[in-house]
Amino acid sequence: MHFVVCAKQIPDPETPPSAFKIDPQKNEVIPAQGIAPVLSQFDSIAAEAALRLKEAAGDSKITVISMGAESAQAAIKQVLAMGADEGLLLNDPAFTKGDPHTTAKVLTAAVQKLGDVDAVFCGRQAADWDWGQTGLLMAEGLGWPSAIIAKGVALDGQQLSVERVLEDGYETAQAPLPAVVTVSNEFGEPRYPKLQQIMQAARKTVTTWTAADLGLDAAEVGEAGSRLRLEKLFIPEKEGKVELMEGDTATEKAQALVKALQGAKVL
Amino acid sequence: MTAETPDQQRPVRLIGAWFAPAVGASVLGFYGSFQLQEETGELIRHSFFNDVAPPAAPYLFLAALTGLLVFGFLRHATLWMVGQPTAQSVLREIPHRMRNAVRLGLAQDKVRRDRYAGIMHWCIFSSIIVLTFVTAQVAVHDDFGIEFLKGDYLNFFTFYGDLFGLVGLVGVGMALARRYFSDFHRIRWDERFEDHLIILGLGLVLLTGFIVEALRIAAEPSVFADDAGMLTLTEDAAPFAFISYPIARFIELFEMPGSQVEGAHFVSWWSHVTLSFSWLGLIVFTRLDHIFFAPINAFLLRTDSPGRLSRIPNLEEREIFGVGYIQDFSWKQLFELDACVRCGRCTEVCPANLAGQPLSPMHLIQDLKAHLADVGPAVQRVGHEGGDTRAVSPVAMVGDVIKDETLWACRTCGACVQECPVMIEHVPTIVDMRRYLVMDEARLPATAQGALENLETRGHPWRGTSLERTTWMEGLGDVPLFDGNQDYLYWVGCSGALVERNLPITKAVFKLLRESGASFGVLGQEETCNGDPARRLGNEYLYQILAEQLVMTFKEKNVQRVITNCPHCFNTFKNEYPQFDGHFEVLHHTEFLSGALRDGSLRATHPVGEDVAYHDSCYLGRINGVYDAPRQIVEMVPGANLVEMRRNMSKGLCCGAGGGNMWQEEVGERRVNHVRSEEAVRTGAQQVISNCPFCIQMFEDGVPAVQPEEEGRIRPFDIAELLERAVFGPGGGEAKEPAAAAAVSDGDRET
Repeated sequence: MHFVVCAKQIPDPETPPSAFKIDPQKNEVIPAQGIAPVLSQFDSIAAEAALRLKEAAGDSKITVISMGAESAQAAIKQVLAMGADEGLLLNDPAFTKGDPHTTAKVLTAAVQKLGDVDAVFCGRQAADWDWGQTGLLMAEGLGWPSAIIAKGVALDGQQLSVERVLEDGYETAQAPLPAVVTVSNEFGEPRYPKLQQIMQAARKTVTTWTAADLGLDAAEVGEAGSRLRLEKLFIPEKEGKVELMEGDTATEKAQALVKALQGAKVL
Repeated sequence: MTAETPDQQRPVRLIGAWFAPAVGASVLGFYGSFQLQEETGELIRHSFFNDVAPPAAPYLFLAALTGLLVFGFLRHATLWMVGQPTAQSVLREIPHRMRNAVRLGLAQDKVRRDRYAGIMHWCIFSSIIVLTFVTAQVAVHDDFGIEFLKGDYLNFFTFYGDLFGLVGLVGVGMALARRYFSDFHRIRWDERFEDHLIILGLGLVLLTGFIVEALRIAAEPSVFADDAGMLTLTEDAAPFAFISYPIARFIELFEMPGSQVEGAHFVSWWSHVTLSFSWLGLIVFTRLDHIFFAPINAFLLRTDSPGRLSRIPNLEEREIFGVGYIQDFSWKQLFELDACVRCGRCTEVCPANLAGQPLSPMHLIQDLKAHLADVGPAVQRVGHEGGDTRAVSPVAMVGDVIKDETLWACRTCGACVQECPVMIEHVPTIVDMRRYLVMDEARLPATAQGALENLETRGHPWRGTSLERTTWMEGLGDVPLFDGNQDYLYWVGCSGALVERNLPITKAVFKLLRESGASFGVLGQEETCNGDPARRLGNEYLYQILAEQLVMTFKEKNVQRVITNCPHCFNTFKNEYPQFDGHFEVLHHTEFLSGALRDGSLRATHPVGEDVAYHDSCYLGRINGVYDAPRQIVEMVPGANLVEMRRNMSKGLCCGAGGGNMWQEEVGERRVNHVRSEEAVRTGAQQVISNCPFCIQMFEDGVPAVQPEEEGRIRPFDIAELLERAVFGPGGGEAKEPAAAAAVSDGDRET
């Protein structure tokens, strides 16, 4: 079996609010100084899901794919250290500032180029933009069945049995391979890598493919190919106001308070 | 109040008091032997009295015993040898090691930490030493023809022989009282048949010794009555045999015929000799082996700080990182297992054990010892054959023999190491197994994993903090960054910068440093964790990366002197960074501030009229021996009244956060910080003062749990916060949120 894990490197979601800055002109997040980007947590859970399937199936291979800049090597190495076999970085200036659609297009092309893939595992969403679309769009592009927001995955012959999180429980779905699965945090904690694996991962070389390698036209990916436009990026301002209720007696103050609350549509 | 200095710096003392009677008497014996040899006295000890046995008999016993001891030692030694070489050569620093052997082995410094046991043990120990000497002198006198046991010296000899026989019996009596007539629990945690054998056997040896002596006295005059001028015991000499002579007189009351007395003497002599040698033979088979192993282990004791964990060299080239198999321990660690006497002192003081959590250092050592006995021979055999020694054991040492949760419960507080009378170092052994769990097996509690992952990705262990490393600087005016020209680097640390509760402490230390006129700067955003939590949690790899990085930063910035407000950072810089060629002068803020108060650069003028209980943090107190500086600060705060907690100084109890437990869910009946908070509450003080951000957090969390009534609740403060109020007045010269509010909100999270 050959499994693919899609891994995205994102700005650290634990960046202290005071250190999180944006450039309103360019509609961009300014990378916080001294705060390194991290692997999206959902993707590390997707990696865990793939690793458990690999252990159950035996004689399998996991390729971890990340679309991103050179720095995304760190995210790839992290999944390699967890136990993935090969790393693949999709790095091209043309890929930047895309939307879920263009990202899925690039990743789909990579999976198609790999050829013998049996299943693709993505996080349920990337923990930075939280679109939650890339996995589904990949399934569309590949023409494969998909099961999203999984809390459990098992191989059942040539079928994939997936437990999907629902609002008030979960359902079990069967999908023929190949398939795309997006994995939710209900799946469980990702493993802590053994030191030997960390060292082996450090020694592995990660292959890089560009748009040309994937046979993609620069116009159909990245910003150029995006169908979504970001209109405005801003940090919502939080303000607290204090209004003291006027009145001579407690009753008057209470009445004023009720009126004010009704005015604010709280009551 | 008497403050203790740490054991490492303690001068060799009290040895005289310990040894004076035993050694003095024996030396005098030799002196007497030469002085009196030429004189003709009317008093002499008769050789081969009663012809009880061929002269060679005792030597056959001695030879057999020696053979047995050698056999026993070799049998043990072959097991120790399955271990690895020690990190620190045991042949370095011989004078230091000899001093340890004398102070901790012979003078038994640690044994005396339990007073009752100290007296008991001294009685037994000195009695065995002196009586062995007595016996040896008899042998010289009888068998080598050097007849010096005569005249006044014989009187003296008789006296101290009787005296130390009595001393030994007192010791045995004390031991019996504790074992059979009290509810003293810890010696029964792992009681075995041999324990009864040892103490009853020794009692019998001493008793039969007296009986032999008394019967000899009773019988002798009848035998030698007409041997002119050669009476063994005159009435004048009687008071010297102050035990055996009355017994002899008592025996005479029965008016037995001389032959019957001689017969009884014959029987008791053989009983005594057989019992004595058999008892000594127990050394090979029982924990009596500590007679040799304790002083040897004192010699083998590390000569560097107990706050230092070993550095794994060449991590990148290794395939195994921690200790998951018995043969991966050093031979010294295996040797220690044999030194354990199951006294339970370690377990008695273990914070995890006190809280009903799954760790007992004594059982851990005993379980490892049993495991070594189980698999050691096979490991050795397979090793010789060049096979895979890891495949030998059907059970996993870490996981089956020693449970994971046992290893995680350790606070690395060093209380067990401190108390161990045979100098076992439990903490490095536990951390070695943690290293296996984390680096080889990647098997660790999720919360600890979270802290380590956070260290890897964010350079601090505080997952989810919303603070920045510079947040504490707000409202303090100009905070100087360290530029290489100031005298001190003030190291704030992750807990001082990123945990809400500790910000006032950091601010207080900063303000006090500034007020004292010290030349210092901070690193601000450039601080990263120094690696201590990673090392204590067993991720030596991550620790080395962080440590090497920070040592480099310090060197680049020309840091020479560091002031920390965290004892863990303090210990790491002071004791562990020299392993990475980082040599800095490191002060804890309490040391600096007490100095500033003494030299007048800080003045505590505003009274704080409250009782303050002082809590010794493990890494400042027990492990680094800083007991006085913080107490001096409290004493110099006007109106503050220092109250000692029941467990204090080297016997202080951990707050529960050490050894990476700050980032773990506790497993067990209680939480350690509740236990310690109760002890703080019991002092009746209004404040509990510590010197460690972890301790403060643990008290903030623990106090509301054990003292639900908010009214009159004891408030936890860092000593810098106390001093801040005394120097700048209430509110520290500015309005700030009272710490009590933090205590309430923390209490709400209590489940």
